[in-house]
Amino acid sequence: MNFTKKILIFMGMFGSGKTEIALNVSRLLTKNGERVALADIDTISPYYRSRDMRDSFAQFGIKIIAPKGKLAHADLPIIPPEIFGYVENPDFRVVLDVGGSDDGAVVLSSLSSRLPDENCETFYVLNPFRPFNDTVENAASHFFRLQEKSRMKINYLVNNTNIGSETTSETIDKGEEFVKQLSEKVSVPVAFTVVMNGLNIEPRLFEQLEIKKYMLNPWEVE
Amino acid sequence: MAERIMVKGNEAMAEAAVRAGCRLYFGYPITPQSEFTEYMARRMPEVDGVFLQSESEVAAVNMVYGAACTGHRVMTSTSSPGFSLMQEGVSYIAGAMLPAVFVNVVRGGPGLGDIQPAQSDYFQSTKGGGHGDYHLIVLAPGSIQEAVDLMETAFRLADNYRVPVMMLADGMLGQMMEPVVFPEYVKLDGINDHSSWALRGTDGREPHKVTSFDIDPVRLEEMNTETHKVYEEIRSKEIRFETHDLEDADYILVGYGTMGRILGSVVKMARKQGIKVGLFRPISLWPFPYDELKKAAKGKRFCTVVEMSTGQMVEDVRLSVEGALPVHFYGRTGGMVPTPDEVFKELVRLIG
Repeated sequence: MNFTKKILIFMGMFGSGKTEIALNVSRLLTKNGERVALADIDTISPYYRSRDMRDSFAQFGIKIIAPKGKLAHADLPIIPPEIFGYVENPDFRVVLDVGGSDDGAVVLSSLSSRLPDENCETFYVLNPFRPFNDTVENAASHFFRLQEKSRMKINYLVNNTNIGSETTSETIDKGEEFVKQLSEKVSVPVAFTVVMNGLNIEPRLFEQLEIKKYMLNPWEVE
Repeated sequence: MAERIMVKGNEAMAEAAVRAGCRLYFGYPITPQSEFTEYMARRMPEVDGVFLQSESEVAAVNMVYGAACTGHRVMTSTSSPGFSLMQEGVSYIAGAMLPAVFVNVVRGGPGLGDIQPAQSDYFQSTKGGGHGDYHLIVLAPGSIQEAVDLMETAFRLADNYRVPVMMLADGMLGQMMEPVVFPEYVKLDGINDHSSWALRGTDGREPHKVTSFDIDPVRLEEMNTETHKVYEEIRSKEIRFETHDLEDADYILVGYGTMGRILGSVVKMARKQGIKVGLFRPISLWPFPYDELKKAAKGKRFCTVVEMSTGQMVEDVRLSVEGALPVHFYGRTGGMVPTPDEVFKELVRLIG
């Protein structure tokens, strides 16, 4: 996948995997020599947020924009204004990690006037193995509702089909088939299929984005 | 649908409650359990259930009290400060011997605390919290699948014994995501026949009375004695726990809930280095597995209890082993979670 636009936006339903993908894409861009600012505008999740990686990602040259100090853990909807500095700064790629579901999309909409379509690639991340995504019809209704609420034009679907460590090639096949049908229904192309490293699964239908899991539980020793 | 899907702990417990036959949910959102309330708001209308967001936790618990009087499966979910607000109602529900399920997704305390995970509500859950001689059955799942499986157990125990049951989780369990298989929907026909006492209309019969009150001290004592007979039966029948690598162990680690997962990693780390450590994980915190832990600890050199608190369950561990071996404690608080690494270092330090 060639990420061509300056601003890459990852949105989707709650728990679809936006944060892991935003972190991995940021890391990928820095490996290609780019400077990246990752804006954590997730005001929904209290844990497992990209801001938790602020220190370890600084060493890769990735600037994570999120409330600082004690406000990082406050249960408050804070959007740091410095995001717009990076949006205007020609030296930086900007990755937006949006909060989940409708409330997350509304936060994105509040920034949309400063995010012109021609500078943005907006990705709708989806895991069909999550609650409320059991049919293509349901998934499509979530897609349209979130697109409308975000006031952004969604350019791509991201197939993040997984059931964690129990993901098999059969899981990925099922997911690709589901996302293909969704893609036809909503007339938006699929950017890539996400595969966790170590699984050694080759997606059949779409390009692969191999990712590493950063949001680990304390008992998951790296 | 016996398919594995990826679910957050809060969503999973809520879905499991629906499948266990809960159609009456009253609650008030609080981090880190708000997804529970949100899930129920979306899900209850699909199954012709009642979802009601109350104006406060005080109201929610009294709605649960009222609904529980009908003998139908009813629940609420909250997090630490919210459960504190519910204590009066919990005591009334226990006093009136009503089945109800509470979920507490524990966060840092005391007071407003913070929104990170903690285990500092152990005393409140297992030893009262509200006033009077009462107990809640307290179940502490260590994984999302276990939480799902225990949810039906929680409702069944509440039904069978007419006691309120608490699922004690922590913020981590509420927020993390794991693969889960949900059980089939429970068939409720005939399994919770509460017609002898429940308030469901008086057509053709004398009115029932559900109360925690008796002005006559002789009768109140009788009522309390009856309740305590039920508690005795629960103590003898409803002990739940899990052990790992205990047989040849020299040392024993004790932790509940997600802490059990972390201690599982510690056991693996220690075993790799030839240190023989085993794990005891209580699942029912009330009734506490006193005798089982005493048996498990026999002949071991020492026991270390690890909690996300300044030391609460450790008191029950000391009561279990009755001084037969030293009981050490390691804890973090305020939402800090002990890592396997730091617990392992502490273990090595204690071995000396």
